[in-house]
Amino acid sequence: MTPAVAAGPSASVAALRAAFGPAIRRHDVVAGDTIVLVDAARVHDILAWLRDTPGQRYDYLVDVTAVEYRDRERLLEVVWFLRALERAEDLRLKVELAKDGPLAVPTCTDLWRGADWLEREVWDMFGIRFSGHPDLRRLLMWETYAEGHPLRKDFPLRGHFSRAEQTRQALGGAAEKHYSLEELSIADAMHYLPDDMRERLAHGHHGEVE
Amino acid sequence: MGLIESTGLPGDPAVVSHASPNWVTTRLDFLMNWARKNSLWPMPFGTACCAIEFMATAASRYDLARFGMERQSFSPRQADVLICAGRLPFKLAPVIRRIWDQMPQPKWAISMGACASSGGIFDNYAMVQGIDTIIPVDVYVPGCPPRPEGLMYGILLLQKKIQGESVTDGALRADRPVRPDGLFLPAERVDELSEPFGNSVHQTRSA
Repeated sequence: MTPAVAAGPSASVAALRAAFGPAIRRHDVVAGDTIVLVDAARVHDILAWLRDTPGQRYDYLVDVTAVEYRDRERLLEVVWFLRALERAEDLRLKVELAKDGPLAVPTCTDLWRGADWLEREVWDMFGIRFSGHPDLRRLLMWETYAEGHPLRKDFPLRGHFSRAEQTRQALGGAAEKHYSLEELSIADAMHYLPDDMRERLAHGHHGEVE
Repeated sequence: MGLIESTGLPGDPAVVSHASPNWVTTRLDFLMNWARKNSLWPMPFGTACCAIEFMATAASRYDLARFGMERQSFSPRQADVLICAGRLPFKLAPVIRRIWDQMPQPKWAISMGACASSGGIFDNYAMVQGIDTIIPVDVYVPGCPPRPEGLMYGILLLQKKIQGESVTDGALRADRPVRPDGLFLPAERVDELSEPFGNSVHQTRSA
């Protein structure tokens, strides 16, 4: 059965405004989906409230992603896609970040374990940090990738380095560098790693390579 | 192709002595090449849609076994020909390099499809612009993806190439390791091979 496209915004918007007041900045309905723009400082509270409040119960985190618009005046957006499985209802949450400000939002890995890799991908591709994330390493590019965050608009399509330099770095890096301590201990490949990397992994210092 | 340069190291093709061919070596060549070309075991390195066409080539309709390839070798140590079927991201570059290094001589490589041969439509930050910047390639198969007939034509070309090899040619079986600067080819050649071409120079970009 295809649910009818709702004419107005989701009922959750009114409930959110009642509970959080000015932290809910505005809402929008696009193709039947409700998008709610909220304060970055309150986004974790709002996500937790949406997950746990009876009548809301957005229990499934579909995706976490970010958007940078071609229009340079527009702010960076972080987007959370939520779904209430029982009611088959969707809600989209957005937070705006100024490009020259600190690019950080709170993690929601404590609410949904599945947010782990989603947030790592956003960090990898956009350079947005998720404070409180247990293991914020790059996900798609390798740990020592030094060219920046590829999905930002100021990132050249072919990358910052020459093709020769990219090839040299790719070939110079051992394949083991792509994996985490846990993955390496399974494969018993720790002894292939460079000393400094083994040191960092052994003490739990992941990622944060600029 | 003139890509081999002398490094002065042991095993370098330039320092291997070249015995002159005679009746014995030419007969031996004929036999060995006949045996080798008709029992090529492929190491499939399938990363994208070309691998689907490769599977079709190996399946019953096109039946790669007709060319002595009934055994797909999923271990590089028992493989003769590496078939890179699909695009190769930089993240996989050390992986294909290690697989190539693990394959025993004699070995050959087929670059299947536009992406493996040149980067194809993926002229971006993540993609190797042709696997010949990572490993030596014997046959390039064009197409996006190539049809099974195209791949089989490439394999037949490789067999033709193998039939022309000689035991007296020391350069053929010399390994070409990654150079001390960490590259397989000289830097300027990698840049030259990776230059944008065709439509990729007209791509819209925001930066």
